Amino acid sequence: GLILLFYLVFYGFLAALFTFTMWVMLQTLSSDIPKYRDRISSPGLMISPKPDTALEFYFNKSDSQSYAEYVSTLRKFLESYDDSKQSQNINCTPGRIFDQNEVAVKKACRFNLSELGQCSGKEDDTFGYSKGTPCVLVKMNRIIGLKPEGEPRIQCTSKEEGMVEINYFPPEGLIDLMYFPYYGKSLHAHYLQPLVAVQLAINSNSTKEEIAIECKILGSPNLKNEDDRDKFLGRIAFKVQMTE
Amino acid sequence: IQDDHKLSTLELEEKYGTSINKGLSSARAAEILARDGPNSLTPPKATPEIVKFLKQMVGGFSILLWIGAVFSWISFGIQLAQGAESPFDNLYLGVVLALVVILTGIFAYYQEAKSTNIMASFSKMIPQQALVIRDAEKKELSADQLVVGDIVEIKGGDRIPADIRLIFSQGCKVDNSSLTGESEPQPRSCDFTHENPLETRNIAFYSTTCVEGTATGIVINTGDRTVIGRIASLASRVGNEKTPIAIEIEHFVYLVAGVAISIGVLFFIISVSMRYKILDSIIFLIGIIVANVPEGLLATVTVSLSLTAKRMAKKNCLVKNLEAVETLGSTSIICSDKTGTLTQNRMTVAHLWFDNQIYSADTSEDQTTQPFDQSSPSWTALSKIVTLCNRAEFRPGQENFPIMKRVVVGDASETALLKFAEVILGDVMNIRARNKKVAEIPFNSTNKFQLSIHETDDPNDKRFLLVMKGAPERILERCSTIMINGKEEPLDSEKAEAFQTAYMELGGMGERVLGFCHLYLPENEFPDTYPFDTDSMNFPTSNLCFVGLLSMIDPPRSTVPDAVSKCRSAGIKVIMVTGDHPITAKAIAKSVGIISATSETVEDIAKRLNIPVEQVNRREATAAVVNGMELKDMSLQQLDEILCNHSEIVFARTSPQQKLVIVEGCQRQGAVVAVTGDGVNDSPALKKADIGIAMGIAGSDAAKNAADMVLLDDNFASIVTGVEEGRLIFDNLKKTIAYTLTKNIAELCPFLIYIIASIPMPIGTITILFIDLGTDIIPSVALAYEKAESDIMNRRPRNKKKDRLVNEQLAVYSYLQIGIMQSVGAFVTYFTVYAEQGFLPSTLLGVRVDWENNAINDFEDSYGQEWTKYQRMYLQWTGYTAFFVSITIQQVADLIIRKTRRNSIFQQGLFRNKVIWVGIFSQIGIALILTYGLGHVTALNFTPLRFQYWFVAVPFAVLIWVYDEVRKLFIRRYPGSWWDKNMYY
Repeated sequence: GLILLFYLVFYGFLAALFTFTMWVMLQTLSSDIPKYRDRISSPGLMISPKPDTALEFYFNKSDSQSYAEYVSTLRKFLESYDDSKQSQNINCTPGRIFDQNEVAVKKACRFNLSELGQCSGKEDDTFGYSKGTPCVLVKMNRIIGLKPEGEPRIQCTSKEEGMVEINYFPPEGLIDLMYFPYYGKSLHAHYLQPLVAVQLAINSNSTKEEIAIECKILGSPNLKNEDDRDKFLGRIAFKVQMTE
Repeated sequence: IQDDHKLSTLELEEKYGTSINKGLSSARAAEILARDGPNSLTPPKATPEIVKFLKQMVGGFSILLWIGAVFSWISFGIQLAQGAESPFDNLYLGVVLALVVILTGIFAYYQEAKSTNIMASFSKMIPQQALVIRDAEKKELSADQLVVGDIVEIKGGDRIPADIRLIFSQGCKVDNSSLTGESEPQPRSCDFTHENPLETRNIAFYSTTCVEGTATGIVINTGDRTVIGRIASLASRVGNEKTPIAIEIEHFVYLVAGVAISIGVLFFIISVSMRYKILDSIIFLIGIIVANVPEGLLATVTVSLSLTAKRMAKKNCLVKNLEAVETLGSTSIICSDKTGTLTQNRMTVAHLWFDNQIYSADTSEDQTTQPFDQSSPSWTALSKIVTLCNRAEFRPGQENFPIMKRVVVGDASETALLKFAEVILGDVMNIRARNKKVAEIPFNSTNKFQLSIHETDDPNDKRFLLVMKGAPERILERCSTIMINGKEEPLDSEKAEAFQTAYMELGGMGERVLGFCHLYLPENEFPDTYPFDTDSMNFPTSNLCFVGLLSMIDPPRSTVPDAVSKCRSAGIKVIMVTGDHPITAKAIAKSVGIISATSETVEDIAKRLNIPVEQVNRREATAAVVNGMELKDMSLQQLDEILCNHSEIVFARTSPQQKLVIVEGCQRQGAVVAVTGDGVNDSPALKKADIGIAMGIAGSDAAKNAADMVLLDDNFASIVTGVEEGRLIFDNLKKTIAYTLTKNIAELCPFLIYIIASIPMPIGTITILFIDLGTDIIPSVALAYEKAESDIMNRRPRNKKKDRLVNEQLAVYSYLQIGIMQSVGAFVTYFTVYAEQGFLPSTLLGVRVDWENNAINDFEDSYGQEWTKYQRMYLQWTGYTAFFVSITIQQVADLIIRKTRRNSIFQQGLFRNKVIWVGIFSQIGIALILTYGLGHVTALNFTPLRFQYWFVAVPFAVLIWVYDEVRKLFIRRYPGSWWDKNMYY
């Protein structure tokens, strides 16, 4: 009896103490930006759609079921880029870092879906999958305060030459500097990260073969793309196999 | 047993095909040697080294860790087959676990081998030589070449090389103490005197020594077939009992393993029912086992024990078996030898009687003067007799040694008298030279006196001085006068009565009494040319003048009474077991305090009340002196009754075989028994005892082999220091274990919360191993240097059944209180690290599956930033490091609170044990090296850590300290209360 009471009091005290110290610790944090960002100094690359099986696309261009999931993922992903959702976003000056340090309310820059051209889903609602020219969107991870230098652009290569022709939207895979820096979820609520669409025009005699694609971020000295350990830092590799 | 002792010489020659004059032929001897083997004792069968080594590999926690390793390899195999991304982690983990087992096993094996090696030096003896007649020639042979039928010659000082039937003897005496325990030398002749070959005088036994005289005999038994050999093989058959500490450690291992397995299985079931994959559940199981098992602890215990063993070796207790260190501390009964252990093993003059008065002499080991009144002219006369009527001499060339340490040629009593005279008068040899000896009759057993006639050193006194000493009653018979204050007075009945009283009193003290008398021969009857003839005795041997008595005893070592009283206050019963006469035994027992001044035996009570012994209420007698003869006829029950009812017991006239019976009797009472012994025949008792203690100087090799411990100085007081060390190490091991167990909870909780709340893993398995085998090792050894909290020699010996090394309170306090506090502190650090990098605690709950998904490289934190898998892993390792650092910091507090169990740290002193500080600095140093030095080695999962995270857990460390001080305060304030019962470990 007494022993149970003792432990009740003892653990009650410890729980209170834990809660209190956690509360104190949380008080020292800002709700806008994390205290330290040294663990993510350089952004990773990611693609959409992201297949469940480790970054490998398998589909039959004549079987709409085989790519339906990719298409719906893309559509869902692009929903937030719809013009109707971007009514509050402003048109920023291209080619320049959009510094808003002094401004209390941070504005988000408009990203026009039309920039994605054939991969915007407006002309082809299967994003090219039905034509054998599948689109993959490449995005750069959001990192608060990151200001890329130079002219960052996405460039993809295929190891197997001649199997695939790669087109970029916007042209040359450029990422505009005006989308940086990012000010964080709470300050920068409507922020949209810039996208680069990669359209893979698969050679008709290369069907049934697995094509390995690697995309890298180039043209910016402060964005790493060759880390030994982190295979997704400024680069991403995926495979595509299309049948007819 | 043979009847060689009954055979005549001729029959023996025939039986063994030998000749007394020519001996065996070399060829024949070689044949027999080939048949019987060498004349040496077969050493006890040693366990093969590889078996010892393998035992270390599977003992203790090793099995659990092997299971962990095998599971790791299994999951590695499965993951490899499934083509997972990083299956090698589990392979490495398995290898690391196996390495941990193998390395700790090698370490334990090495420690054990080291302590065995100390003993190996003992068994290396200088090969013994024997003088043998072979091929009709005398030859020196190595004793192990002897065969049955060899004719050997022995002389005083030799060790008997085999069992020998004597065929010729001249004044031969043997010391059979190693066989029978009787220290009195026994005469040996060629005559068949007893049916029992062990009692008859014409057989000398292997390994006994010839004290004086010479003899020739036929070898009748060699090697293991000798009487000693048979006893030695009996000893090896007496089973070895498990030591108390081994039992305690086993108990502790079961407890911890039980906790590990039950928590492991419980969470295996929980994780399976929470729909974790079986493979994941197995990996959790490994983590839980690794977190629960204190990998470094058994090595720490071994080191602590060997540190104590080293300390004890400095105090003359050489420990053969490491675990025996603690056994001594739990000892509740010590069965001690008398001669050499409790006593100095040399006759010393204890009392004098002259001028109708008894004087006491100083019997301490390092006497340089004698304090008694030496002004009386009677003493001058007595001292002259003592000096002159003595054949003992110092070996030359020892002038620089203290008198008591000089080697003397002569028997024990004469040696005592010589040293006594040398201490008081100085340069006895010179006095003898000045008082030239003209005639002498040595002591013999028929006339029981010794006599010599001297010229005097006074040039004006031309008389001869006749001096005589011997058995007091025989000396008195020859006297007509007695010297009182330098004057000769007639010996009337009153004075004879006074002599009788003194003689009885000294004899009653167990002392050997000698009488001294003299006579100045009238100058006219005995001119300086008088031809003294000792055969016809042409001089007076009666009507002499009685001068005084001297009594001698083998006195107790001066440190022994104090040691015995220490034992008494420590609740240890000291039982004397000796081959000596009961009166001597009782006298020594009284003088060292084994029988205290106020207690009485049944016989004493009977004498005091003047009633027959049978009418005495046996319960009233606290002391008992039991004769070996009585013991022989006693039933086990009667023996138990004696051991139970009397607190002060002396066994006299016991044979070493009876020692075994006594030891077993004590063990039946539930006691932990320590036994001292030196003879070969003691070895069964030494082996049977919980801790056998052999004498380093007087001990035989067989005794040293059977014993767990060797007293290098043969001194009983060394046992007591050993007891103190043993008790201290038990207390300190408790502290070490409490210290080590505490952080197991802080290592375990992360796994449990990881499974239940699905947060990112707070601490890695490898990191845990770095705590258990890295930062924690030196501090836990440092606790072995902790001083005792209170006088441990005022406590009763621990109760084997109740006072466990690891009791419920210890486990509960470490696991459920301090351990939980540590976990809370470590989790606060963990959450702080994640929150300050962008993952608030609320974000972390339930993220495990996505967090660990290799395909998700845009994992969003609480601030909208996105993380790749590797960035998350790196953060996770930072979390490991932070958790590790917090545990380390709080273990510093844990180390400090474990210094004491009852007293405040401030009573104990923070800085008295310097090694603790070495431990603290090593702990922090290792943590610094791991985080900042090895922070870039990916496989170790450490990362450089922001400096402030070292201090997050500091308030919790302080809290642990304060809480424990409060706990101790309440324990001291309210002894026996609910708090005391539940919180004192």
